[in-house]
Amino acid sequence: MTKKKRFGVSTALTRGLSETIHVVENNSGTFRNVVLPLSRIELDPDNPRKLALNLTDVRIGLNKQDPLYNQKLGELERLKELMATIQSSGVINPIVVYKRGELYRVVAGERRCLASILASKHEIDARVFNEKPRGFELKLVQWIENTAREDLTLDERIENVRDLLREYQQQNNPTEVTASLLRELTGLSLPQATYYVVVLNAPADLKAAISKSEIRSLDKAAILAGIEREDLRQQAIEACIKGSSLKELRQMISQQRDLSKKQKQISLQDKQTRSLSRRVNMGSTGQVAVVKEIVDAILGQARYQKYVPIFSAIDWAHVKHSALAFRQLVDILERELVGQI
Amino acid sequence: MKIIAFVNNKGGVGKTTCSKIMAEYLSKVKKMSVLGIDFDPQCNFSHQYLQMEIDPVAPEGLIPPIHPDYNPEDLEEMDWEGRSSIAEIFYGQGVVPYPTYIENLDLAPGHAERLLAAESVRKTEVVEKVHKQLANFLNSEDVRAAYDAVIIDTAPSKGPLTISVMKAATDIVIPSVMEEQPVQGIYGMLQLWMQESLIREKSRPLNLVGILPNMFKQTRLHKDLLNSLQGNPAINRYILPVKLNQRIVYAEVDSEEANPRSIFDFPDDHIAKKEALEAYQHIAERIYS
Repeated sequence: MTKKKRFGVSTALTRGLSETIHVVENNSGTFRNVVLPLSRIELDPDNPRKLALNLTDVRIGLNKQDPLYNQKLGELERLKELMATIQSSGVINPIVVYKRGELYRVVAGERRCLASILASKHEIDARVFNEKPRGFELKLVQWIENTAREDLTLDERIENVRDLLREYQQQNNPTEVTASLLRELTGLSLPQATYYVVVLNAPADLKAAISKSEIRSLDKAAILAGIEREDLRQQAIEACIKGSSLKELRQMISQQRDLSKKQKQISLQDKQTRSLSRRVNMGSTGQVAVVKEIVDAILGQARYQKYVPIFSAIDWAHVKHSALAFRQLVDILERELVGQI
Repeated sequence: MKIIAFVNNKGGVGKTTCSKIMAEYLSKVKKMSVLGIDFDPQCNFSHQYLQMEIDPVAPEGLIPPIHPDYNPEDLEEMDWEGRSSIAEIFYGQGVVPYPTYIENLDLAPGHAERLLAAESVRKTEVVEKVHKQLANFLNSEDVRAAYDAVIIDTAPSKGPLTISVMKAATDIVIPSVMEEQPVQGIYGMLQLWMQESLIREKSRPLNLVGILPNMFKQTRLHKDLLNSLQGNPAINRYILPVKLNQRIVYAEVDSEEANPRSIFDFPDDHIAKKEALEAYQHIAERIYS
């Protein structure tokens, strides 16, 4: 019996057809990669990274009369290493731009643009958004770009997050800014997102120190923001500027906490004698996961996020640590709520 | 206004027949005001509705006839020689569509020599100019006010003419015979679709209506190739669930003396009319839904 001949589209052609379809389905209308003349580039004046150097400075040269001459000179020096790599290997990652009239505005990649001009390049690889990104998307791209940068100050990073959240709230209904929301938007870890939220709401004295770049560490800033008493916070800020370590700052907070705990105990003892029958037994459990769940639920609320750093060192696998943490949480809740009852 | 183009860089797959049926479906059945555009230097689409003439300067090419509205005595038309083709858009001149025997269907015919000249342009900046001209013309207020839909028959190429159609179109249909070479032509068109889609704004995507199995024969080759394409989930999303079978009647209605001249003028129980109605109703639903 003869076998009937079967026909089919070749594997290579089938693959080519399906891959092309996937490219269109997954990417149409978003962006395209092109080689752009550097003469058609403009920088974004609203990019939160406050680089003083501009296109004219690198095209024509620095002007000694410029009030920002020294700052620009420093920035120019720091660009030279990047310029050298671009001269030898070109730009590895394309810059991100969107079309604005005859020019293309840089969303991400200002330093690569400036360094390419310094390297006497005429074109640069670019990813072009087909439409101007909406406020939030624009800030998100700038955020992603800037998080990869090591030379950003803490102030610039916080400004970045602030812009990102503002644009998000403008595009969506205003919502409460929580660490979980920030984590969802940026992909940051929960502790990092918590630190940012805490520092965004930092008291004025701490903000001033951050904007003067006296405080550069997010972790330290978050711990300092958690100190309520102004005199103690000021001491801690000064200690931080003088170079206190994270551990030393934590000890200062711990001392403050012990102090307030003692004060609270005194007032609670006083209360106990008066209203013993009104105390509630919070129960007990051997399951540390239950304790962590309660603690996380409380700390997830905006008003308690300033206490998150206090719990960052807890070993949740340890029953004794978990018990101490829960007791600490109850103390905090009493301290926060008693004044309002 | 929908701009619907039939594209495949392989010749002989039935682009002109499919364009013609689409133009007649929308104008005769759906009563829409339709402009047909012949972007193929072979001018077969034009020949369906107009008495195209041999160009005395380029005897191998066809030129449109004298326009019925042309009046040599009219002083305002002193600069016009009385013929108009879609190729005028490449020469900065206005296009004067011709009426056809179908009430709602006008035609901007091809002009062999002029379209070939545009197709052969290679310099980057000129290619850019060619690419944008059709979109500029179809975006003009006059055209948008006059027509509900534009149907474009294209040349069997991936050159500047087809690229300019891709830039102007809102929807493309890829007719294909289920044979090796036409299926390779599908790949060529998907590449152009991809290139165009990646540079368009999200608000005006280039809709790939689908791949229309055309001139289909109940042979093992055609059935196996169709099954093979349908077997890939990504490709199958774009294989239209309707097809046009190989029928001599589609060629017969092309004849000047044919009666009737449109597949939609046949009796309702005519097998080809039923098939065309089913196929084009589905295509129209994909475009207008």
